[in-house]
Amino acid sequence: MQKFFRRNFAGYAFLSPWLVGFFLLAIGPILASLYLSFTKYNVVRPPQWLGLDHYVYMFQYDQRFWKALQVTFQFVVISVPLKLIFALGVAMALDKGIRAIGWYRALFYLPSILGGSIAVAILWRQLFNYDGVINSILRLFGAEGPYWLADPKYSLWTLIVLAIWQFGSPMLIFLAGLRAIPQELYEAAEIDAAGPVKKFFAITVPLLAPVIFFNLVLQMIEAFKSFSGAFIISGGSGAPLDSLLFFTVYLYNEAFSFLRMGYASALAWVLLLIIALFTAIAFWTSKYWVHYENERG
Amino acid sequence: MSKLSRRTFLGASGSVLALAAMGRPAFAQTAEIRHFWWGNPERDRRTFEVIDIFNGKHPDINVTGETLGFGDYFTKLTTQIAGGNMPDVIQQGYGVLFEYIANGAVVPLDDYVGKTLDISKMDQSAIDAGTVDGKFYALSIGANSHMAMYNSRLFEEAGIVPGEDFDPYGYTYDELAEFAAAVKEATGVAGTDDNTADYQNFSDFVVQKGAMLFNEDGSYGPTQEIVEEYWATWEKIRSAGGTPPGPESAGLAGVSELSQMGVVTGKTAMTYLWSNQLVGVQSLMQDTLGAAMYPNTPDMVPGSIVQPSQFVCLTRDSANPEAATTYMSAFVNDLDMTKVLGLERGIPSQSDVRAALQPDLTDVEARSVEFFDKIQGKTAVLPPPPPSGSNEVEQTFERLAVNVLLGERPIPEVASDFLNQARAILARA
Repeated sequence: MQKFFRRNFAGYAFLSPWLVGFFLLAIGPILASLYLSFTKYNVVRPPQWLGLDHYVYMFQYDQRFWKALQVTFQFVVISVPLKLIFALGVAMALDKGIRAIGWYRALFYLPSILGGSIAVAILWRQLFNYDGVINSILRLFGAEGPYWLADPKYSLWTLIVLAIWQFGSPMLIFLAGLRAIPQELYEAAEIDAAGPVKKFFAITVPLLAPVIFFNLVLQMIEAFKSFSGAFIISGGSGAPLDSLLFFTVYLYNEAFSFLRMGYASALAWVLLLIIALFTAIAFWTSKYWVHYENERG
Repeated sequence: MSKLSRRTFLGASGSVLALAAMGRPAFAQTAEIRHFWWGNPERDRRTFEVIDIFNGKHPDINVTGETLGFGDYFTKLTTQIAGGNMPDVIQQGYGVLFEYIANGAVVPLDDYVGKTLDISKMDQSAIDAGTVDGKFYALSIGANSHMAMYNSRLFEEAGIVPGEDFDPYGYTYDELAEFAAAVKEATGVAGTDDNTADYQNFSDFVVQKGAMLFNEDGSYGPTQEIVEEYWATWEKIRSAGGTPPGPESAGLAGVSELSQMGVVTGKTAMTYLWSNQLVGVQSLMQDTLGAAMYPNTPDMVPGSIVQPSQFVCLTRDSANPEAATTYMSAFVNDLDMTKVLGLERGIPSQSDVRAALQPDLTDVEARSVEFFDKIQGKTAVLPPPPPSGSNEVEQTFERLAVNVLLGERPIPEVASDFLNQARAILARA
């Protein structure tokens, strides 16, 4: 043991800034929030032990909790596949060896850099306002657009579009994956008279499966945690009619509007478990559709 | 010296540190005081100017100002409570204040009264409003009441003459429906905001109907009938054509920024706020605003209250309460400072401050004062402080009222849903 430390001391010393940060700023608060989730805590007074009360209330009585879950699932289930399809489509178009491809890649990646920001969420609100740009364009064609943001039938779609628009990072990863597919396979397929559709499903998809899987997991987690767009566009409350009540927005409201830090901590842990569960499911299904080149089958 | 050895370097930096440490006591004599308020551009301009005046007069105290919009103000304050770094002096409103007192975040001022804090000229009613269980906590910085603000130009264009076609200090919801539709007809601008999702108007209406928002025992006061009648009343005004379309109003439910108000954006000709906000709203507009009370039922039971609009309070995190209370005292007493503040936060609670303001009132401030004179005797008594959870009831009202604005569900169903949720919130709080 001593020998181990003597030999590795320098390495740990260099790691120490990260280790201190990890234990103090990540593990510490995470464990604290687990404890707080079993207490009543309003910031000003010390926490009082409640046991499982918050969890019982959440699942048995809290209608907004179920509403928040429903909205979040809807968002994840619709936005993630659309975003991946869109990203893959753009990546395949860019893979054709167009001139000035670097510029296109940078341009398409731009929304992903901006997308999570507050400024873009505010811009989005302006675009989809009743008197906003989108409806003005529709009016040019003689159509009367709806109240995108005030009508619960449409409000979630504005956020789904915002999510799809941030397709840049999965696109870059797809692009790298596409480059790694050996061209010989396509050439061989062409000789066998395979059309573009056949080539896509018989060569591109199977060989890209590990990359698709990686993007799927990453984007799913990101979608579950999505916050700033819904927060800004709904004015912080999940309005209209809780149609934008993302799980994270509800959690934020419970914590900072109503000072129920204990309950909010419990919500955060439930979200963590949900994300863990769905990630586990994704990994389990991957056995059946993701195959790696170096695998022996 | 061509070569700087490690030792000489350390020695040199050591003496710099020592010098810095020796210099410190001279700086430490200046007390640093942070003042945090929620504001609007007009209020921020005035308050920063007042801080400069105070710092000029008190070289031993350095006040710095921090400001946010109302929507984010209490969120920030909450995180500061948790972090133990609240500013020394904070702005509070009637209602939330009592939760802060109960939680101990705001501390009593009694120890400083007569020493650093002068309240000898303050109205007794204002002192009473800031007193809880015999302890004095909060310094009133102005009184206000509910006020409807209308765009005079649009009313004139529609041929609506306040005082003739309707009495601004006593008109009914039916009259409002009529003249609001007339304004829309003549100008194309909706005559009034739609207050279906406006809790402030609802609370006014509840008192007009002879009920209280919260009963003596802290339970929720409004009945199913009152909630239904309130929403039906606004539905009538909406269907008469006097308001913007329902979905447009739904998008503004719970929005508090003055720049988003109907009269400012030009979407409506009448907006319902607090009287002290007249100064702030007028500063965002070209057209002149007129002042009216909230509409009433034909029985004309008073529904609006006159209450302290805002307080300044001392927080438990203040390291230098003497300096902080010196600043608070000047904020309400120093005539050079109160002159700059004017009536922007409401009608001041000190008789000498009011007298000093009188000769130089701006046009819009004169309108505020006139409004206050006219509503005397037409207001309701100040209710007991709201119980905790009232803030959440308010947000629930705004959220569910959107159902009514969008016509998603029938009014009676939404009303009973709201009352059930309100009772559950109060029981849980």
